[in-house]
Amino acid sequence: MTTETDDGTGIDTDPVPDGGTVTGGEPGPSHEHERTGNAAVNWMESLSEAAYAYLLLLPAFALLTLIAFYPMIRTFVMSLRANQTRGLDPLGGFVGIENYIDILTGNARLARQFLDVGLTSSFPFIELGTPLFQQALFVTLAFAVISVVVETVIGFGQAYVLDQEFTGRRWVRVAIILPWAVPIVIQGMIFFLLFQPTVGFGSDLMQSLGLFSGTPLANSQDAFIIILVADIWKSSAFMALLILAGLQSVDRSLYDVARVAGASPWQRFKLITLPLVMPALLVAMLFRTMDAMRVYGLIESTAGCTTVPSLSCLVVEAMFGGTRIYATAAAVAFATALVIGLIIGVYVLLFRDTDGGMY
Amino acid sequence: MTDPTDSTDPTTTTDSSDTSGIDDGSDGQPRDPTLHRPDGGAVLEDDRDADLDRGPFQQWVSDSISHPERVYRAMFYVAAIFFLFTTLFPFYWLLMVALTPEGQLQDIVFTPNGFNPGAFVEVFQVIPFHIYMFNSFVIALASTIVVLVIASLAGYAFGRLEFPGRTPLMLLVLVISFFPPAAFFIPLNDLFNTSFAILRPITGDGTLYNTPFALVTPLSAIFMPLAIFILTTFYSQIPDGLEDAARVEGTTRLGALFRVIIPLSAPGVATAGVLTFIAVYNEFFFSFLMTDGQPENWAPILDGILAYQGQYQVLYNLMAAASILGVIPVAILVVIAQEKIVSGLTAGALKE
Repeated sequence: MTTETDDGTGIDTDPVPDGGTVTGGEPGPSHEHERTGNAAVNWMESLSEAAYAYLLLLPAFALLTLIAFYPMIRTFVMSLRANQTRGLDPLGGFVGIENYIDILTGNARLARQFLDVGLTSSFPFIELGTPLFQQALFVTLAFAVISVVVETVIGFGQAYVLDQEFTGRRWVRVAIILPWAVPIVIQGMIFFLLFQPTVGFGSDLMQSLGLFSGTPLANSQDAFIIILVADIWKSSAFMALLILAGLQSVDRSLYDVARVAGASPWQRFKLITLPLVMPALLVAMLFRTMDAMRVYGLIESTAGCTTVPSLSCLVVEAMFGGTRIYATAAAVAFATALVIGLIIGVYVLLFRDTDGGMY
Repeated sequence: MTDPTDSTDPTTTTDSSDTSGIDDGSDGQPRDPTLHRPDGGAVLEDDRDADLDRGPFQQWVSDSISHPERVYRAMFYVAAIFFLFTTLFPFYWLLMVALTPEGQLQDIVFTPNGFNPGAFVEVFQVIPFHIYMFNSFVIALASTIVVLVIASLAGYAFGRLEFPGRTPLMLLVLVISFFPPAAFFIPLNDLFNTSFAILRPITGDGTLYNTPFALVTPLSAIFMPLAIFILTTFYSQIPDGLEDAARVEGTTRLGALFRVIIPLSAPGVATAGVLTFIAVYNEFFFSFLMTDGQPENWAPILDGILAYQGQYQVLYNLMAAASILGVIPVAILVVIAQEKIVSGLTAGALKE
């Protein structure tokens, strides 16, 4: 279908005048009609609009089924079976939701637990089986919430700067976008080197301030903060880009009206900018939250999954940890998907009324 | 502003600046006196007296109060410089580490300890880093092509055709892009490690593990949704008349897509392509787990950078040098295509 280059260029160079294309393109289509006038084309031409649409969607959904839908169902089925450490088949018989109960009560045979909180009868009514920073669900949620909030604030600042008119704006924009385009492994490498005691000055600096221990990359709490900073460095740029798009779509004359009416800059921000940028902001935050929930590469390339266990980390460790607990791995994977699905649901419910919002 | 009563009246800070911002001539003056004269008199006298014994700081404060726009400008420059420093310093520091000879890598802050540009050559001698880079390019390019073709078809259907189930299907695509690769990974790992008889002549052991397909297929799938959204937006903006004209001339349905819609949406296609390329090049999860890390087995750049972590010593300066080399291709893309990246992310994010 793309072999007819002369016809394609004819339309490309001269798309507007009707007469021109008719006379110029006359030999093309008729010639092509003869050559490719086979059953497949005729069949495609005879389809209804809806049938044609489904046909065009077929490749996309075939790929998504192979890579996403089917594996997710398989993961769920796997998670309902028992771990079998001996024998050819790594999966045992059907055990229902036992694997899920194990991971939620901290009884799974994982190096780091998904969730390890017990109920007690005395005051806080909960007790931690392992430190909070070594529980994957808490680490991932805390990471997602803190990073998204900080990135939104910084991204707003960056977008505000990029929204102004000044000389050299193009290059400032390149500089601010650049961290977003850095491969995850290199982002991890930068912060690994910065806080590697023999190379970087980061650990000495933080230690002299009394904030970090001597080996921050081996300490769960310190490493969590390092990973947070690394993520904020990279992803604020992404937030800034999406917020900038929202800022630039705001009608400038609104500000003039507000100025004449005597609104202070803060009032102009609160009453004009914020409401109009809100839809873009919410979408950006949703995107970032989902992205932060699946953090893996950054952790793997800096502190390692044992020090800072995220949900994705847990799946990989269970798969390749050498203990053949595939059913537990599947349960963690599907539970991760459920947590993310839950967050999407909450987002949509909370913000479905926002003007021009998600759906 | 010529009238001193205006600039020193502290009760009307915002007001006076605002009128001065628009035009401080004929419009501001007749309006101001009627508004602020009654109680302004007494305050004025005090202020003028105080003016005489003000220090430089107080002078600056009073200046700032009367000209807030100057403060905003100053704040803007401070913010811009702060952001530039925080985003660029890590790159600068990485370069300093790369230039420091091995064995002197202590306490590098702003200058390298010594000068050793040879690290950028050594990077290729210690391990075949160029092969890793080549692999990354091939994988990113192949994924981009697959994504653009499939997403073009889907984007055309979503953007230009009416059919039942359009919105739910679009949502399904969106939701899939939110789920973590970890949720898909276990069965995919099985699948790519399964031996297929028909593949044996091509891959040796009949599995897709350690071939580009093991990376291109999942990466295409997980980055396709963004491309579909961008292309849907662009395709839906082409006027119907142009497509109808081509159809009247006898172009097939697919021909109209490839000869009219796609050429006219070239900026959108370029945007989707650039974003997909960067996303695939930067990806970690599948890139890390779907090959065994050997350059001859299509391991991407990520394994190259981690490979300097040898068995007996860790070559930190080479890690830094390799990281800089790995950033250069995407940095060039960002410089060339920054407008497209901005518009593409906007379209992809704001469409739904």
